[in-house]
Amino acid sequence: MDENKKRILEMLAQNKISTDEAYRLLSALESEGSAAEGTPKAGTAARMKSKYLRVCVVPGHEREHGGKCERVNIRVPMTLIRAGMKFTSLLPPEARDKVNGALREKGIDFDMRNLKPEAMDQLLEALSDLEVDVASSDGETVKVFVE
Amino acid sequence: MKRPPMLMHVKIRGERRGFGLWLPLFLLLPLALAAFIILSPLILIAIPVFWPKGWRKRALHIFGAAFEILCSMRDLKVDVQSDHHCIYISAV
Repeated sequence: MDENKKRILEMLAQNKISTDEAYRLLSALESEGSAAEGTPKAGTAARMKSKYLRVCVVPGHEREHGGKCERVNIRVPMTLIRAGMKFTSLLPPEARDKVNGALREKGIDFDMRNLKPEAMDQLLEALSDLEVDVASSDGETVKVFVE
Repeated sequence: MKRPPMLMHVKIRGERRGFGLWLPLFLLLPLALAAFIILSPLILIAIPVFWPKGWRKRALHIFGAAFEILCSMRDLKVDVQSDHHCIYISAV
């Protein structure tokens, strides 16, 4: 048996801690152990499980009753994002230059030729950790997250 | 195996009128296949024309990527509502 677990059980036997506390400590130890054992794999598996990119805009009560309200609920499968990104690599060079030019005009200095499959995978993995939660003063909330 | 969505629900509502459609994509796919078979002689003519230009590989990849995008559209949901307008697209 693990030394730490033994100590927790001893403390419980000696009535130094309650059963609730012992349970909490044991589960904390277990989760710590599993995280340390498989950090890269567990992380990747969790990210692989994320299936959708969600964008939700919920109007505040003031707007809802005031008459002007906009509600947005978008669910985009991650596979669609991946397929769309793959599709960009098939763009002819002239079209890519046009897109790059249009992006530069908008102040985005991004070269689509640098979008490599490995970079796409990294980007999508990073996207799994994305969570945007904005609440305005009138109660409107904007949420962008991956589930 | 990936498979394309079977149904698409499109609902658009304007200030005065609106409409909702259930598109049976599973019926459109055999039609697309039939169109492909009908157009295959033209495709066979086009292949030797575009072969030297190096378009063959790109065309094949585009077909593959387009099919992948179609398959990935399953579970897509877009629901945007304002006071008088509504756009709802869902692929199942």
